[in-house]
Amino acid sequence: MEIAAALPLRTPPKLVTRLTVVHLVEMILAGSFMIFVVLPAIFRFSLVSASFWEIYRRFYVTGLFGTFFYVAMTLPLSVVLGFLMGWARVSGVRIFSWPSSLYVNLFRGLPPLILVIFASLFGTNLVPQPILDRFLSGFRRGDIAVGLAAIAIAMHSSAYQAEIFRAGFQSVPKGQQEAAQALGLRPWQGMRHVILPQTFRLSLPPLGNEFAVLIKDTSILAAISGTELVAKSRDLLGILPASGFPIVWIFAVWTVVALTYFVLTYSVTRGLRILERKFHTPGLEAISL
Amino acid sequence: MIRVEDIQKHFGALHVLRGITFDVQKAEAIVIIGPSGSGKSTLLRCINLLVEPDSGKVFIDGVHVNRHGIRHEWVRQQVGMVFQSFNLFTHLTAIENVTLGLTRVKGIPHDQAIEKARKLLARVGLAAKENAYPAELSGGQQQRVAIARALAMDPKAMLFDEPTSALDPEYIREVLDVMTVLAREGMTMIVVTHEMGFASNVASRILFMDAGKIIEEGTAEDIFQNPKEDRTRSFVSKILR
Amino acid sequence: MANWRKFLRDRWRYFDAALALAVIIGSLVYIYELLVGSRGLDVAYITRNYPLYLHAVFTNVYATTIAFVVGMALGFSVGWLRTARSLSVAKFAASMRVEKRERQEAPSGSEVTRRLLVVLSLLWYGTKYVVRRVGDGFVEIIRGTPLYVQILFASSFFIVFLPQYASEGILIGIIALAINTGGYQAEIFRAGLQTVHSGQIEAARAIGFSRLKAMRYVILPQALRLIIPPLTNEYIGLFKASTFLFVLGVQTEISYIAQHEGFAGDVFEIFAIVTAIFLAITVTLSFVVQALERRFRIPGLGIEQVRLPRGVRTARVVG
Repeated sequence: MEIAAALPLRTPPKLVTRLTVVHLVEMILAGSFMIFVVLPAIFRFSLVSASFWEIYRRFYVTGLFGTFFYVAMTLPLSVVLGFLMGWARVSGVRIFSWPSSLYVNLFRGLPPLILVIFASLFGTNLVPQPILDRFLSGFRRGDIAVGLAAIAIAMHSSAYQAEIFRAGFQSVPKGQQEAAQALGLRPWQGMRHVILPQTFRLSLPPLGNEFAVLIKDTSILAAISGTELVAKSRDLLGILPASGFPIVWIFAVWTVVALTYFVLTYSVTRGLRILERKFHTPGLEAISL
Repeated sequence: MIRVEDIQKHFGALHVLRGITFDVQKAEAIVIIGPSGSGKSTLLRCINLLVEPDSGKVFIDGVHVNRHGIRHEWVRQQVGMVFQSFNLFTHLTAIENVTLGLTRVKGIPHDQAIEKARKLLARVGLAAKENAYPAELSGGQQQRVAIARALAMDPKAMLFDEPTSALDPEYIREVLDVMTVLAREGMTMIVVTHEMGFASNVASRILFMDAGKIIEEGTAEDIFQNPKEDRTRSFVSKILR
Repeated sequence: MANWRKFLRDRWRYFDAALALAVIIGSLVYIYELLVGSRGLDVAYITRNYPLYLHAVFTNVYATTIAFVVGMALGFSVGWLRTARSLSVAKFAASMRVEKRERQEAPSGSEVTRRLLVVLSLLWYGTKYVVRRVGDGFVEIIRGTPLYVQILFASSFFIVFLPQYASEGILIGIIALAINTGGYQAEIFRAGLQTVHSGQIEAARAIGFSRLKAMRYVILPQALRLIIPPLTNEYIGLFKASTFLFVLGVQTEISYIAQHEGFAGDVFEIFAIVTAIFLAITVTLSFVVQALERRFRIPGLGIEQVRLPRGVRTARVVG
């Protein structure tokens, strides 16, 4: 017994480095260390300058709320679209499976930046005129463009989520549908009580990953001057020389932005993992994507 | 109770069932034996209409069921089915598996359903496992839950599709015991199996199927000791060493 | 009546397919109408400009490939470093306790050397730990932050420290992309190395291979086969990400799109060209990936395997 404890055991290493609270704490410590100790030491200036952060705070808060808004807008939309497309993909009815296949391949094959630019410039052409007049007449053209671009990002993510849901559907053991039928459950009942619950449980793990990607993708809106974190931070840098702070402050700003995104994605993946655990049923193996 | 007349079924070019005709009386226990690919599982699925026969008639309790106007769900409530791979709903506990059909198909209120489910689980010997998930149960236990689940619908007859073929040897006994008790209690059943011991003990009649046709039928003695057809003889000799 | 229904049911598959095609073509025609309409397809635009687009795409490919290769070197080193194994504190303490007991029972050797060895091993494991954590941190940062932020970070770096190169969009872009892909590839390499690590080295040593030989004949061949599919997927991803060069001022196909702002004239044609090019490249690459996967697959072993039960939709019943 003791001898076994004495030898450094060659335990098989974890195949996935799971992100733990320890990691997060380390990140934040390292980030703050960087901002408040290393950079000033190298460039000989003090970062504990309240006035700078005062200025930046306004930009930051506006930007952050913008990002929250876009995430709140795109996330649910992408899940709904992704789920419908994924379901259609596994359908035996070709009216559903072919168009959704086309959709998925189209939106996965195109880079999100291209989709964003296209949507912002030409999206209004695609929206039928009556809808524009009725619902969207109150908005400025620029805002509509950004909104459409956000929708484009949601569609891009939904294509990936469609694949996740498709794999979820196909991972449900084949006999489940038969058993539901044999019991006398009607097709929609079988879907609702047997197939869909299992699909969701199976899809949750890779879905968390995809949500993190979506959050990061909202930064693309900065390319078309959407109101979000990256765009606002970039605006700040425009006025930086004028306000008298050395240009080195850029790095502090970007470090803060990076940390913010890091915290955002971490919370989402963590939140989903908690959801996973809540719905976990032993024996339902997650698909690995 | 159950009668099939001249059932034909093709899967693409494959002629799986070539005119099957037989009947099952109330409280009879029929065992179907035969080599794999002979169409036994397909035949079973034609009876509860999981598979639609190309032609021929299926009668359950005198009602011609494979025609327009008869809802498949109704048919499946008359005849219960137990699968080779159990097919328990993996996201539900044992008792939830049993109550699902009661609450959703039969519309029985929740508390009554739970009571009934408990009785059924006790009947198959799994009262203690009602809150276990299928993954936490052994193969034999899962199959017994599957039997309870099918019995919950109060079917007039039960179909068993190789119920013990996917089980480790030590669990076969417990499932066969449940089935034997069921048969002795008078449940009409059609069982596809390779368990010859069960067939000899429980079956009132045995049907031998090969290549989509019923080659021979008779009592256990007839089939195992005095097979009339050559094919029956060669199959039986391979099974009973 | 019944015959008509039977007719439909028998031929359902063809109706189904026909309707599906109708939906697809219908929506494409609808979009075409919206964007082109009465204007008529400006084929001249396409024939005139497609060289520009191709050139732009070549820029993308060029940047992607360079960044990928550099990233591979980076990713491999970081990935390899992350497989460095250190001792957890508990086990170290346990082994210390055992040593202490042994020392009490059979004292031998000098106290100094023993203390020195302890310190050295602490140092060794400690360094391995720090190195591994730094590697982990690097990867997590890359994966946790948007590419756009990383590009802006790199761009800022140039503005501050190397202003003479600050306008070289391509250079900055390639560096940012290289670091980005380095992070993702580090994860791939780490997973590949670790999937093989576990019992194989010991089995190889048991046969009589030296550590180096084991690396060469047992670990690397397997690791390489595991790594190829996700690596090629990463290449495709990087290619799509290379569109970001646009924000650095590099002339990519996006600039041509942006130049047309307001003038909704050749929208459809531009869209068609860009989509066609991208889809062509990504689809071809996907096929390459699939072919490579099939060729190099080791059954039962894989980093990112999608386990899909085949034949989910068939009605085949055997029995």
